Amino acid sequence: MIRYVVKRLIIIIPVIIALTFVVYSILYMAPGDPAQIILGNDYTEEAAAQVREDLGLDQPFIVQYFHYLGDLVRGDFGESYVSGESVGAQLFSRFPNTFKIVICAMIFCVAVGMPIGIWSAVRPNSIFSKVTMVIGLMGVSMPVFWLGLLLILFFAVHLGWFPASGMDDGWKSLVLPSLTVGANYMANTMRTTRSSMMEAIRQDYITTARAKGVREHDVIYDHALGNALMPTITVVGLNVGALLGGLVYCETVFSIPGTGRFLVESINKRDVPCVLGCLVIMAICVAVSNLIVDLIYAYIDPRIKAQYSGKGGRSK
Amino acid sequence: MENTNTAAKREVISRKEFYKKFKKKSNAAEIWSRFLKNRTAVVGLIIFGIIVLLAIFAPLLVSYEEQAIKLDVYNRLQGPGNGHLFGTDEVGRDIFARIIYGARISLSVGISSVAVALLVGGILGSISGFYGGKIDDVIMRVMDVFLCLPDVLLALAIIATFGVSQINLVISIGLSFSPKFARIVRSAILTVRGSEYIEAARSIGAKDGHIILRYALVNCMGPIIVQVTLYVASAILTISGLSFLGLGIQAPTPEWGNMLASGRAFMRDEAYLVIAPGLAIFFTILSLNLLGDGLRDALDPRLKQ
Amino acid sequence: MEKENVKNTLEVKDLVVQYVSDNEIVHAVNGINMTIGEGKTLGLVGETGAGKTTTAMSILNLVAQPQGKIVSGEILLNGKDVLKMNHHDLRLMRGDQVAMIFQDPMTSLNPIKSVGEQIAEGLRIHQKLDKKDAMKRAAEVLELVGIPGSRAVEFPHQFSGGMKQRVVIAMALACRPNLLIADEATTALDVTIQAQILQLINELKKKYNMSMLIITHDLGIVAEVCDEVSIIYAGVVIEHGNLEDIFDHYYHPYTKGLFDSLPDIENRSAQLKPIKGLTPDPTNLPSGCPFHPRCEYCMEICKETRPKMRQLNDTHFVRCHLYDDTDERKL
Repeated sequence: MIRYVVKRLIIIIPVIIALTFVVYSILYMAPGDPAQIILGNDYTEEAAAQVREDLGLDQPFIVQYFHYLGDLVRGDFGESYVSGESVGAQLFSRFPNTFKIVICAMIFCVAVGMPIGIWSAVRPNSIFSKVTMVIGLMGVSMPVFWLGLLLILFFAVHLGWFPASGMDDGWKSLVLPSLTVGANYMANTMRTTRSSMMEAIRQDYITTARAKGVREHDVIYDHALGNALMPTITVVGLNVGALLGGLVYCETVFSIPGTGRFLVESINKRDVPCVLGCLVIMAICVAVSNLIVDLIYAYIDPRIKAQYSGKGGRSK
Repeated sequence: MENTNTAAKREVISRKEFYKKFKKKSNAAEIWSRFLKNRTAVVGLIIFGIIVLLAIFAPLLVSYEEQAIKLDVYNRLQGPGNGHLFGTDEVGRDIFARIIYGARISLSVGISSVAVALLVGGILGSISGFYGGKIDDVIMRVMDVFLCLPDVLLALAIIATFGVSQINLVISIGLSFSPKFARIVRSAILTVRGSEYIEAARSIGAKDGHIILRYALVNCMGPIIVQVTLYVASAILTISGLSFLGLGIQAPTPEWGNMLASGRAFMRDEAYLVIAPGLAIFFTILSLNLLGDGLRDALDPRLKQ
Repeated sequence: MEKENVKNTLEVKDLVVQYVSDNEIVHAVNGINMTIGEGKTLGLVGETGAGKTTTAMSILNLVAQPQGKIVSGEILLNGKDVLKMNHHDLRLMRGDQVAMIFQDPMTSLNPIKSVGEQIAEGLRIHQKLDKKDAMKRAAEVLELVGIPGSRAVEFPHQFSGGMKQRVVIAMALACRPNLLIADEATTALDVTIQAQILQLINELKKKYNMSMLIITHDLGIVAEVCDEVSIIYAGVVIEHGNLEDIFDHYYHPYTKGLFDSLPDIENRSAQLKPIKGLTPDPTNLPSGCPFHPRCEYCMEICKETRPKMRQLNDTHFVRCHLYDDTDERKL
């Protein structure tokens, strides 16, 4: 098992480096002169040349990239063109807000989406199952930003239960943003759980289990669920990226000082180091969540476990 | 004699019935009839059809300049009714007119960005799937890296670099979806690569490009069409999302996302400002999702429960 | 007569099973009768779609829900009607009194449970063993089918096809059932492995004095392990007898057809004579005798009236209008 974890960890590093490279090269192509943005009204030819030299902008692309990468490894994300502040400091003051919402949304999605998916797969012709399918379909079709506005209208403006914006109200300010960003995700999880569960229930080994006299409850929750979990976890993991994408909208709608809103603001100000920082940190999040999925997968799936446990050498 | 005759006839009939029932149905008519049996899919098709018709015939219904663009502050924030089906916005423009013109933008940008994605991803995926080996490895590893980035973020990065414009929107969404299409096309090609008709085409000396286009791709159109439908939905979602953030279609051009963004400030008192454009997005996405799911089931009936 | 005294493990009487889908009814089993005496092996032979598997699943009362429906009949297992059992009794019966070996060993094992766990599961349910004892017993059962007990901790993907089928057999045997049902148990395997598995089944049957129901379309397997044979067509038994009756004195044209479809080693130049036509559409069965559209001996009466089972001697029964008023073989 440890060998597997180590192997996965080693794979993730080049992925993250490649991601930073991709993002860096896209943003490198941005037209416009950083010196102009930094100096603003104080722009003179000499000052601009000085700035370019300070930032290393006069060097070839690949040198600049490795400079950036080197700084990144030391935790230095560079300085904002606009405010001159450290990008890293700004990111780390905002990231906790984003992180809290992501975690709440994931808990919401797994705790609600998976059980509903399972129940509706067990009785696919029941009314419950049909209703949840309709809700699921609506959930995946719902634009995050619109859902956010609707929730604000109803729960904040109309009922006054939760704050409409900001993060100053403790757990209460987490509720609406998590629901907003988690709705799509939950609907997706529910649909995947349902279909993989239905697929699992159809398999021959389920009949085998029944023929052994296994209780129906155990047939479903032990034999079928174990197998259905794997595709479900894959989808849950793959959708973490979409969840982070949704956060950009969600944080804008709820005016939450998080990474997503910081990204949008930075794009509007053409503040390349900040944009870069946001994208890099989000890419790292996605890579890490993929790693976690792989690890959970290995924990559940004996085929991977056996491969790395050292004695199951007979596999194909 | 009589006996064997009728027996033979019966056999013919039962064989016909057998084929009717179990023959692998693959032609378009069969798929279409299976699609029509799926009630939700037909609902999706109807909703999407209405949206497309409204978009195409928008100029016949309302005037772009007069109703969707021109400011009319004396008639601002009129609720629904009173000659304005969905009311008027904060500067007095007719919301219905803006929504159906918005449909034109959403649909055209959405479809063209998926076309870009299909072209770029299709070429990469075909090469990768058809030739396999090292090229396949390299292309797919690069695609994997791109797939790590959520497509909204990738689109945002491209927009941040090249600035906000309709063409850049198409390019950024198209490019951000390309890795997914590369994967889809690659796996579709892989399923037919070993087939005998591909070997046959090769043996008569057909060029690779010709084989890919005329033999391989044609035979895996089904799953690709399904994905195109579903990705047009997410492209439209991304367009309105980016416009909502102010990084997509810019006002005064009517677009559902920027209508939501501008209506947001007034929504506490005038909720209809955010209801109508939101519903437009929602129904477009919903109908495309229904359509895509229905097509998938019709193309591969085994997948259905 | 001595035979009367033998206790029957299984008696199936007039079993009718249907599958109801959107707008049609699949008549899978249409009045099957069969009896398996203690320690005896019955072979159920027929083409694909003749209702063999449905019959087997009915014995466990496990016909696929919600489409499948046991319409009428009785299934007496050691004298108790399976179809009248409640959920609890059914569960206690399955795997304990009746065990089943399924068609495809590749898919009938749960990929995420070790084979030991899967064997032990039945023991824990039926013999109330705790986890440790059950695993120990499971290892012993594995040894019995020729797999080292130490492999109990391994997972199905670590076994080859033949080995998997041994595991499936071990699973079925774990609780020493009175009746073992083998549904095409060797069809998915290589011929050499098939022989090994058959030999194993034969040995174990003798060892534990089990009754067996062998479902197959392979007459060779029947010859190897069965005491009696029922030939089944379109959900009814059309001929029944002991090995000698069926192999040497078959009466039914369909049975003849089955034997004619086999290649003959002594006369390799002889052409195979497959039965013409296709198995009938179970949603729309022919009138009268279901075999009549394919039958060389078809008469007017065959198209209208369903033939009755006629007893030819102590062991041999046939359902064909050719023998309405004679016991003389007409083929």
